[in-house]
Amino acid sequence: MKYIATIEGKEFTIEVLDENHIIVDGQALEVDFVSVSGQPVYSLIVDGKSYEAYVYPAEDEWEVLRRGHMYPVKVEDEREKRLRAAAGGGVAETGEYHLKAPMPGLVVAIPVEEGQAIAKGEVLLILESMKMQNELKSPRDGTVSRIRVKPGDSVEQRATLLSVL
Amino acid sequence: MFKKVLIANRGEIAVRILRACREAGIESVAVYSEADRQALHVRYADEAFLLGPAPSRDSYLRADKILEIARKSGADAIHPGYGFLAEREDFAQACADEGITFIGPKPSAIAAMGDKMTARNTVIAAGVPVVPGTEGEGSLSDSELLAIAPQIGFPLLIKATAGGGGKGMREVKDLEEMPLLLQSARREAESAFGDGNVYLEKLVLGARHIEIQVLADTHGNVIYLGERECSLQRRHQKLLEEAPSPFVDEDLRRKMGEVAVKAAQAVDYVNAGTIEFLVDKDKNYFFLEMNTRLQVEHPVTEMATGIDIVKEQLRIARGRQLSYSQEDVQLKGAAIECRINAEDPYNGFLPSTGRIAHSLLPTGPGIRVDTGVYPGFEITPYYDPMIAKLIVWGETRAQAILRMRRALEEYKIVGVRTNIPFHQTMMDSHRFMGGQYDTRFVEERFSMLDSEEGREVRPDIAAILATLVAHQRTQRSAQIVRRGERDTSNWKWVGRWERMHR
Repeated sequence: MKYIATIEGKEFTIEVLDENHIIVDGQALEVDFVSVSGQPVYSLIVDGKSYEAYVYPAEDEWEVLRRGHMYPVKVEDEREKRLRAAAGGGVAETGEYHLKAPMPGLVVAIPVEEGQAIAKGEVLLILESMKMQNELKSPRDGTVSRIRVKPGDSVEQRATLLSVL
Repeated sequence: MFKKVLIANRGEIAVRILRACREAGIESVAVYSEADRQALHVRYADEAFLLGPAPSRDSYLRADKILEIARKSGADAIHPGYGFLAEREDFAQACADEGITFIGPKPSAIAAMGDKMTARNTVIAAGVPVVPGTEGEGSLSDSELLAIAPQIGFPLLIKATAGGGGKGMREVKDLEEMPLLLQSARREAESAFGDGNVYLEKLVLGARHIEIQVLADTHGNVIYLGERECSLQRRHQKLLEEAPSPFVDEDLRRKMGEVAVKAAQAVDYVNAGTIEFLVDKDKNYFFLEMNTRLQVEHPVTEMATGIDIVKEQLRIARGRQLSYSQEDVQLKGAAIECRINAEDPYNGFLPSTGRIAHSLLPTGPGIRVDTGVYPGFEITPYYDPMIAKLIVWGETRAQAILRMRRALEEYKIVGVRTNIPFHQTMMDSHRFMGGQYDTRFVEERFSMLDSEEGREVRPDIAAILATLVAHQRTQRSAQIVRRGERDTSNWKWVGRWERMHR
């Protein structure tokens, strides 16, 4: 199976032949790859060199954390890559944005109202968690619509709080 | 002479105090909230009693319940730790009224240092310099504060009267933005301390935050244990501390130490306390406040002096003399502490909650980890995000940094995101290595993307790892979907497959 891994614009073509053999950009490598006690911590031995890292699944990519350095990695097989190329790519600045709670907490204040025009970076909601007040800001310009919570509400992680049109 | 100590706290500090009690052969009583039934401090204590629901106001802040448990369990002393009830004079007084030893200063000293005006006036009288501001002028209204602000000069800070830990604190650049900032500072102070009062203070630029640890016994002996450098902060929360400070020489240490002793003596201080100073680039120092309790960062002083501060606290509370005179206190080597918080440094340091699935602690020479969590423990949004303190000691500061790098790499926590990568980046920063930083460094000149110290960057290895994980996941889901190709059940097969791939 052939994959294309992209890190900050740099592409690596990686073909997985079997459990212990891969080809990276045309170079054949012998690998030994295990998950440490079933956790997202992985140990990789490549030609005698030992590497260890966290590999976390993110929205539509992977986050590899090694020695205090975070690598965002997009992994696609050839079919996916072609599909994406065909679709044109790029996230539109239009459509509805749903502000979701990044962590469980208590809604302290909502300094905006439904129908209010807001600018990118403006505070939409203040969420208190672990005794800290966190300002959740708008990622783009738009209009506030459908506020689903009120001050004093306890919210779960990923709960939709309000939307921006 | 007390025999049984109730620890009115949770987390790593409760564990720290329990350890000191166990070593001293003193019985211990833990208290816990419903969220902490499985916490380490409950497991390590001789006795444990439920306080109530998870929120602090229903559990660790319930002074009445804590005193009731002390009576019921026969505890004749209470150690408050830090935070919660540690700096409440009414609680210290209530303990005294019940005939229970409060392991800390007298209520009068807590009151004197807790009240900004008294604290300022007391230390000014003792000859200690202070930062200009309205601290100690009582509860002023917004309009009064707005009128006074230009006299102090901008930039300035709004601080919560009842405050600490940066809660209710705002920085003001000019008069125009001040009304809004006053509002949000009051709101945060109200929610954190139940007191929305604030005061103003001149912002000292290029300042370092350096504090002096003092110990005082009931026989009139007061000593200082050198300084702690606490300038590395984010949103006024300390992230990393070291002892000694790379900025302080022998002369400054003695001067600040003697001033700190004077400040402590001015309020008849007893037990462990800390005098916080702001030090400008010309080595002028200003008294900030006195913390009348054990500090989070006390281990760096313990590592650099070899003195067990909690043990001394118990000794002092038992009415005995300090084990050390000032001449006995010698700094040896260098210690650094990294506060490991459940915060994601790649996502605006947002708190991260969840169950700790896996934790591998760093060990080996010169390493100490103070923590209250372990695999299986749930990090809830109810308390502080600090889950552990990683402390290292080295013969020199350089060795301590190398050791901290090594320890941070060994430390694996799975289940919540932590700020370990932040500390790793800090250990590689040239300014940190050179000791060239002030209280604004983290927020203004530090970036997670900096990789100054020729850190090995291997995108190829990251690409291989991510691809192999992605491949494994694709294979697994494909094989689960393909029914009937194996003679055993798919669930059994998945179980075997997972075991095989551990």
